[in-house]
Amino acid sequence: MRYDVQTDPIDARELEAAVSHSGAGAICTFSGIVRDSSRGQTVTHLDYEAYAEMAVPQMRKIGQEIKDRWPEARVAMAHRTGHLEIGEVSVVVSVSCPHRAEAFEACRWGIDRLKESVPIWKKEHAEDGTFWIEGEEAKPAGNAG
Amino acid sequence: MAVAIAVKIRFFARLRELAGVENEALQVAPGSTLRDVYAALRDRHGALPSLEGVRGAVNQEFAGWDDPISNGDEVAFIPPVSGGAR
Repeated sequence: MRYDVQTDPIDARELEAAVSHSGAGAICTFSGIVRDSSRGQTVTHLDYEAYAEMAVPQMRKIGQEIKDRWPEARVAMAHRTGHLEIGEVSVVVSVSCPHRAEAFEACRWGIDRLKESVPIWKKEHAEDGTFWIEGEEAKPAGNAG
Repeated sequence: MAVAIAVKIRFFARLRELAGVENEALQVAPGSTLRDVYAALRDRHGALPSLEGVRGAVNQEFAGWDDPISNGDEVAFIPPVSGGAR
């Protein structure tokens, strides 16, 4: 089990190595990538801000939820913070299980729960301005940072 | 009995920008709830939104608006996370 909030680039292969073991016949890895458009606008870059002291325990809690549902799963999660360019990896969830069906399901569970309960926020810098993305809403950001 | 309890406030993301501060110290009456703490902060920082669409966390755990606050708690106010349904 490995849970990180980090400013350095995320290496998905490292997370896969952390969940790999001789009984794991399947590893499913989700990578979230910074995309070049949003809301029909061109995006130039993103800034992610985290409440790190809470985000890591929340990730650990999601890992436990996965273990409760898929007892043989092993889980690793990492989220970037700070300035990210288009094409960079913002988040990775990697889950190993004996077989692929539960690996897919557990990985999907992990990223969906992370998106709703881990306190990390995305500030989108786009051609029409700078916005905080709060669920489905984009709210104008201030100049302060 | 103490006349006031001291809490450490933290704001994140858009709420940090609206409050204009990241951290602050606040004194509230004993028996105050999370709702009371946020109301006191809105008096201080007029740009803070009403509590719909805001979540509170006490000592790094999501908390309810009617949860009591204790001396020394770290209380954070956070907007919805970046998530999205897709």
